Amino acid sequence: MMKNIIEINNAYKAYLNNKVLQGINLNIKAGEVVALIGESGSGKSTLLRCINGLENLDSGTIKFNDTDIKTINENQLRTNIGMVFQQFNLFNNMNVLKNCTIGLIKVKKLSRDKAVEIAKEKLTLVGMENFINSSVDSLSGGQKQRVAIARSLCLNPDVLLFDEPTSALDPKNVNEVLNVIANLAKANMTLIIVTHEMKFAREVANRIVYMDEGIICEQGTPAEIFDTPQNPKTKAFLKYS
Amino acid sequence: MLKNIWAILQEYSSTFVSGIGVTLALALIGTIFGLFLSLILTIIRVQVPRPNDSKIIKILKRIASGFAKFYVTVFRGTPMIVQAVIFFYSFYQMGIKWSPFAAGLFTVSLNTAAYLTEVLRGGITSIDKGQVEAARSIGMTHFQTFIYIVFPQAIKNSFASIGNEFIVNIKDTAVLSTIMVVDIFSVANKAAGKYYLYVEAMIIAALIYLAITFITSKVLILIEKKLKVETKEIVSSN
Repeated sequence: MMKNIIEINNAYKAYLNNKVLQGINLNIKAGEVVALIGESGSGKSTLLRCINGLENLDSGTIKFNDTDIKTINENQLRTNIGMVFQQFNLFNNMNVLKNCTIGLIKVKKLSRDKAVEIAKEKLTLVGMENFINSSVDSLSGGQKQRVAIARSLCLNPDVLLFDEPTSALDPKNVNEVLNVIANLAKANMTLIIVTHEMKFAREVANRIVYMDEGIICEQGTPAEIFDTPQNPKTKAFLKYS
Repeated sequence: MLKNIWAILQEYSSTFVSGIGVTLALALIGTIFGLFLSLILTIIRVQVPRPNDSKIIKILKRIASGFAKFYVTVFRGTPMIVQAVIFFYSFYQMGIKWSPFAAGLFTVSLNTAAYLTEVLRGGITSIDKGQVEAARSIGMTHFQTFIYIVFPQAIKNSFASIGNEFIVNIKDTAVLSTIMVVDIFSVANKAAGKYYLYVEAMIIAALIYLAITFITSKVLILIEKKLKVETKEIVSSN
């Protein structure tokens, strides 16, 4: 049996009086693809940000490979747990290649040549090998997101988090990004994806987690959640999705 | 009037040329020194105590940021002519006999630093939060994020304002004639006093200032365009 790569125990997080996470318990196994679904404001993105260390929990623990992330150097943690953002967040002052090599050179302290080699490999993986010298401004939304994925992959993370990776894309660009994520899933990479693409979640994820008001209402296989949801809130959400 | 202008030009042309050199040197070197000083002040100014910082670091950050704020308030809140006079004569009173040019350069540099600190601070705060988060999410430290991601973008965004400050300095250095700096205005003033032709002499000064600022602004626009022309047009893969 696969071991848990992420273990979240009794996680609480609030912004002033707004309780965003209210006792989340979730284990994720290595190689698993988990889709977090739920209405906007249900705490999905905050949960991802806490896993990546961009936000700290108020109480509870998140363990990565059996180690509490509070005890791991946050910069080290982030090279092991990559994150892809809704708005891509590519570095505007760098071209595509530099976006991918900066982490390797400055964080992983690799030589420039080695960094370029890795970056080209990852850009090829996402189909962006012909754009290495392009400015990020000249890319379409889908291309930007693929570069953002390559940038995260360059650091060879054990887990990759996706925060609504297609929400900022027009329909034409959604598929090119979803295909890349689906390929990563096929390669047995551990993925946690916050998404509103129900069809995609059903096809790619091993497990669906439905969240509402900071709690996990229901989780199960795609068939269990989409075909026979038990929780009334899940039923209501899926009815309108 | 044209005859008078021509007469002044004939007598003072070489003096005007040296005045142009002084004005340009003060404005250019002062802006460069001011920019370097403002880089330091901006870094100090944007320091915010973080929850993980030790108590000492938190206090030091508050003091440093407070000092930068105070500096900006003082230099932006007082006229450069007053600053120049205070610096020039106070150093003299302390026994430091420095040239009017050195005192002028010192004043322009400090004054420019105050304005550019606010310009750069604005450039930094205008950087999208997502840029910082993306840098942090790939394991970059706060320092690396600032140096490699935030600062280059802030400088680029602020380029027009930095150029504008240079143009302002070309004109504002005229006040340094108060401490005997022999710049364009000072030469014009001298010529005007000699022949009592104030309008003619100042028209010459105005035309020189106008020509310099016009050429400078064109050059700055070219540089600005050059900075943006890194973008290569490419065919979409869609």
